[in-house]
Amino acid sequence: MNIIEATNIHRTFGKGAVVTHVLKGIDISVKAGEYVAIMGKSGAGKSTLMYQLSALDEPTEGDIFIDGENVVELSERERTEFRLNTLGYIFQDYALVPDLSARENVMMPLLMRGMNWAKAEQAADRAIDSVGLIGKYHNLPAELSGGEQQRVAIARAVASEPKILFADEPTANLDSISGKQVIDLIGEIHKRGQTIVMVTHEEEYTADADRIIYMEDGKIVNEKKN
Amino acid sequence: MRSLRIGLLLGLRQIQRASIWTTALIIFVMMLTFLNLVVVSGVLVGLITGAERAVRNESLGDIILSEPTGEKTIIETNSIVSSFASYPEIDSYSIRYKSNAVLEANYKERRNLNTERDIATVNVTGIDPALEDNMSHISDDVVRGEYLDPNEEGYILIGYYYLEESADKFGDVFDTLGIKNPGETVRLTVGDISKEFVVKGIIESKVDDVSLNTYIPEREFRRLFGRIDQNADQRVIRVKSGYSEDDLKKAFVTNGLNAYAKIQTFEEGKPKFITDIKATMNLLGTFIGSIGLVVASITIFIIIFINALSRRRHIGILKGIGIERQAIEIAYVIQAAFYALAGSALGALLIYGFLIGYFERNPIAFPFSDGVLVAPANETLLRFIVLFITTLVAGFIPAWMIVRQNTLNAILGRK
Ligand SMILES: Nc1ncnc2c1ncn2[C@@H]1O[C@H](COP(=O)(O)OP(=O)(O)O)[C@@H](O)[C@H]1O
Ligand SMILES: [Mg+2]
Repeated sequence: MNIIEATNIHRTFGKGAVVTHVLKGIDISVKAGEYVAIMGKSGAGKSTLMYQLSALDEPTEGDIFIDGENVVELSERERTEFRLNTLGYIFQDYALVPDLSARENVMMPLLMRGMNWAKAEQAADRAIDSVGLIGKYHNLPAELSGGEQQRVAIARAVASEPKILFADEPTANLDSISGKQVIDLIGEIHKRGQTIVMVTHEEEYTADADRIIYMEDGKIVNEKKN
Repeated sequence: MRSLRIGLLLGLRQIQRASIWTTALIIFVMMLTFLNLVVVSGVLVGLITGAERAVRNESLGDIILSEPTGEKTIIETNSIVSSFASYPEIDSYSIRYKSNAVLEANYKERRNLNTERDIATVNVTGIDPALEDNMSHISDDVVRGEYLDPNEEGYILIGYYYLEESADKFGDVFDTLGIKNPGETVRLTVGDISKEFVVKGIIESKVDDVSLNTYIPEREFRRLFGRIDQNADQRVIRVKSGYSEDDLKKAFVTNGLNAYAKIQTFEEGKPKFITDIKATMNLLGTFIGSIGLVVASITIFIIIFINALSRRRHIGILKGIGIERQAIEIAYVIQAAFYALAGSALGALLIYGFLIGYFERNPIAFPFSDGVLVAPANETLLRFIVLFITTLVAGFIPAWMIVRQNTLNAILGRK
């Protein structure tokens, strides 16, 4: 069963003479439990595609079914709720709230889902433990290294057990050692059954992926099974 | 509910992590706004309250008895007075006889009969010096010479406004006399009866009723004005502290005293213009305070706007991971609420813990009043509520403006 089923996705920016056609008709499907890596040069449209698939943006044309729901037809409010309940995100630069401790950052989506405070705390601590940051619950983002911050961000993304985990170049701002740790962590999470869509432009980081999709100039040009 | 929890968490943490100096400055601004809102009208009203208190202390007392409608004087004055003994609430009282007469000075030195006579029409009050001083302590108001001695006759107290030297201070709105010092002789004329008095003292107060008056002993008053029936014009009563003048008035009415005199509490009997000016001052103060309110809302608006703008990316990411807009807006409203609360609390502490007491001890000296600071709790509360709500709105609008921006644009830092 395909958890993502996208057909004929187009995304253009601007109007009239200055229209940029970034995604030029993309069909993509992802099976539940699958780990898909999207590869391509800078500017190929990988991020733009990921924003469409993860309901952060609306395609100019095309349909995207996620877990059976056509997200293109959702209102802004419904999409926010959909993201909360179904999807997890890892952004390039950690994207933690600087005023909140590691634990509180991870608790955010749990509280939003209505989990009670004590349970959210427990779940957050467990998630932080599971990314290898045992005991760093009270650290502020500024008190953590870049790699540690990215791991807290991963904890936040997986604590609420999303159906799909999206990651857009999660290692871009990390040194190679922390980068490798993060990639290994994502691989581990996949082994527990998590569906993952990850954008990267480094071949070596795709080793754990089930399938690699190559993009060029807004189109899928190749696909490779690992 | 969920949004509220998250909003609270985000808001409180932002307050916690904010620079202490920024926070202190914002709270200081809010405190000034609160003070501006409460103290400006408080001083303006307090100025009138000071005048009102002086009238109550030095002239009208807590309960005023005057002639009933259709009569020229209070009837059965003596029997009313003897009944006073049976009211334990009465601390002190004074019986006053009031009329006008012509006062003349420097008539002995006047050699040339063609020069103008030094005369003025004056208010004359006949008092029992001891009773009056007990009630109004006007002996404290004697600025030159001495207060009337109950055992002496032929002496008069002259209000300062009747002295020529006060004319340049108040303009020549009433006739003045060339009296300079106690000991000079003056002549009081009613119809064709005249009597000489020696000026015993000059009396001056911020209460016009005292400064624009002359006092002689009641016995001499009655003789001079032919008031043989002993019925007085005004009876003023000071109620013992701990008793209410309203209750005493009720007791008077129950006992039928209102058949002989019109009975008013100070609130009922005080000059109406006091109430009117107070309301005007309150309005004026509120108006001036509102300008501060506008300044405060703009301040809060800018603070929250800059705060939210600098966190635009984080706001985008929160929305990206599924946090409702509402929750983020609440976080900023909570910050605004915190500033308003802290500022008002400090302001209230300053007003009730210090300023009111300070002005009681050191009233502001105005020509007609010793101004105090008046801040009734209910009006202060009302002003706080206005400030609070204004601040919430001023905090909400910029938060709403920034939170509603496109999520992805916010995350990517695009326009
Ligand atoms: N909002 C936008 N307006 C105009 N052009 C855009 C916008 N977003 C992306 N692009 C363009 O689309 C292309 C693909 O961008 P992106 O998806 O970020 O590439 P990648 O992630 O593969 O590096 C780039 O040439 C970029 O300039
Ligand atoms: Mg990209």
